[in-house]
Amino acid sequence: MNHPCARPATTRMGIAVSAAVLAFAVAPAQVAHSAGPALEASQVAVPATTAASRVSRSLAEYTVPSVELVREDGKVVRFSDELADTRPVVLNFIYTTCNGICPMLSQTFSFLQSKLGAQRDSVHLVSVSIDPEQDTPQRLTEYAKQFHAGPEWHHYTGTLAASVLVQRSFGVYRGDKMSHTPVTLLRPAPGMPWVRFDGYATADELIQELGDRIANP
Amino acid sequence: MRILLALLPLAAAPLSVVADSSASSPGEGIYRRGLLPSGRPLRGERASATAVEGPLAACVNCHRRSGLGASEGRILIPPITARYLFGVRARNAGEPGMPGMETPGLERPRFTEATLARAIREGVGSDGRRFDELMPHYALDDSSMAVLIAYLRQLSSDRVPGVSDERIEFATIITPDSDPIQRKGMLEVLDTFFANKNVFFREKSPPLQSSHNIHYRIVRKWKLHVWQLAGSPESWEQQLHQRLRAEPVFAVISGLGGKTWAPVHRFCEAESLPCLFPNVDLPVVAEDDFYPVYFSKGVLLEAQLLAGRLAQKARAAGLHHVVQVYRSGDIGAAAAHELRAGLAAQGIEIVDRPLAAAAKSQTLSEAVNNVQASDALILWMRPKDLQALPPSPPPGALVFASGLMGGLERAPLPTNWRASTDVTYPFDLPDDRRLRMDFPLRWFKIRQIEMVDERVQTDTFVACGILAEVLAPMLDNFVRDHLLERLETMLSARTRNGYYPRLGLGPGQRFASKGGYLVHFADVQGPKVVADGEWIVP
Repeated sequence: MNHPCARPATTRMGIAVSAAVLAFAVAPAQVAHSAGPALEASQVAVPATTAASRVSRSLAEYTVPSVELVREDGKVVRFSDELADTRPVVLNFIYTTCNGICPMLSQTFSFLQSKLGAQRDSVHLVSVSIDPEQDTPQRLTEYAKQFHAGPEWHHYTGTLAASVLVQRSFGVYRGDKMSHTPVTLLRPAPGMPWVRFDGYATADELIQELGDRIANP
Repeated sequence: MRILLALLPLAAAPLSVVADSSASSPGEGIYRRGLLPSGRPLRGERASATAVEGPLAACVNCHRRSGLGASEGRILIPPITARYLFGVRARNAGEPGMPGMETPGLERPRFTEATLARAIREGVGSDGRRFDELMPHYALDDSSMAVLIAYLRQLSSDRVPGVSDERIEFATIITPDSDPIQRKGMLEVLDTFFANKNVFFREKSPPLQSSHNIHYRIVRKWKLHVWQLAGSPESWEQQLHQRLRAEPVFAVISGLGGKTWAPVHRFCEAESLPCLFPNVDLPVVAEDDFYPVYFSKGVLLEAQLLAGRLAQKARAAGLHHVVQVYRSGDIGAAAAHELRAGLAAQGIEIVDRPLAAAAKSQTLSEAVNNVQASDALILWMRPKDLQALPPSPPPGALVFASGLMGGLERAPLPTNWRASTDVTYPFDLPDDRRLRMDFPLRWFKIRQIEMVDERVQTDTFVACGILAEVLAPMLDNFVRDHLLERLETMLSARTRNGYYPRLGLGPGQRFASKGGYLVHFADVQGPKVVADGEWIVP
């Protein structure tokens, strides 16, 4: 169920029911390890990686659109050309003023990058802005710097229409940037289906997925 | 399925702490900047990702400046003010136990200081449930923890001025150098909108009620205070502070500026007063300021549009010289400065020809005539000066005019200038916005509002609509910071935006429309314009 704040009824009526509250049914939190009623929380093991129930993995055939985007270095490029890569591609969607989800996603890329070490350049990291009018190439450069992006990790912006087209092409478009959800997409090699992680895929999970496609130095 | 983030329980910290209410306090340092009182950065660990430190670890990122949380996608970030942590009745809120907002699950056990500290350190809620992975674990020592909890105790708990059970008070600010016709048009829209808002209000409204988690929204009367400034800009801030003391308001809506808005911007920021969408063509650009919000960067945006186009021309067609003409003391001066900055290091020589405020048209003619072929001439001019231009432009020159200053498609350029002048146009084109404009235009017609300045009156109407829509779901949580946080979230979903193809904000964004066109006139006369290229976002 995906639902940003519902619009309340107009003020024409003296009293209105806030429909948003109805929609926000209290749902039990998904818990990786339940601490139960005991208060000795310190004795509950904190999982080293996210439990599988927090991230759902699926496969999908997406077509990379041949749409014009602008890279953080200002270069105007065709997205399909940028991804015409023999390297595995890992893709996410961000915007630079995002507070919660995007820093997590970008940190995962940053972590992945550092775990790859000398093999960093064998994986192509791609981040596309879903707030392109705000995210100018300069802002993307600053954002990328925050996460220590290396040359194998590019950020993209462009017209609103172009950004929406890319989002739709990968089934992540939710109509408004505020409604976005954490998604990471991974194409092991050209022509292969994309692996889709809904939720916060960890760097370790991505490395596991990449498997032996990470070139040896 | 919604993922609930449980609230932070309080660990076995020392005794209850005194509320920390001073601005820029150590508690605020932790909360907003991720800086511990020791000077070391705050550090948060996450099971599934790297640790975060400093500003990236700060609570404000997710729980927001107001502490009232947020929603992003399917994630609900809960409020963490004292009211929600400890059940303490805040002075700005309704009945205790009344969440007053759309956040569910607030019947969970209240925290104690002990369980709250544990939650912050270990990520376990007061009900024993583990938090979502988004929430880091913070290994705070006891004294830092006490400082943070003291901060949370006072966060967003003050009585909010300008709000009572019956009314919300707003102000609109008008500078003395603003256009009197625009003033009249704007005030008519504001007065009518406010009157219309109050028309179904017959008596004191009942207190906010709740039955089975269905919240009945209170309807409060809106009251508008018109703060007409006088005298020189140096005196405006003081006038405004005095006004605010005499007439406390919740927020400032719309308003009208002339040559400068800076004192008003400073006042709003200093008083932590939301200042929403004034009618100004020269806003203040201050990236870290929180309270003033603008439709666009106005003539500064126009300068950026021009900088991009001129840079292109420099690369492609060998443009070397740019001449800018503007009246000293008017907003064109700031625009010229912005264009100069935007063209730095492009290898273009820029000559500014400021005209004294009282300079006659002959001086104007001299300023615009002395321009070589294939140079660019930029006119930062009001309609009066456009009308006083010599009959023909300098031959061969590329001419650009400010649409905002000159009157957009009604800019009174002399006939021979129209063919060779490009006008900056930071709005949707008239034909493209016709459908969207139907809504405000019908409203004006039905309410018999005289159309004296379509742009200002439409912008004012849009601002009022935005205000109504952002306040509605806030129920009883009249917290000024929260108003802005909600605005950031809801604005991009709106479609009835008058002249603007899109409005949108985000955390830290304060200019809602970000681009524009360059257009030229289609015909020798008449308002039809044609875009030269696509919508440009500089």
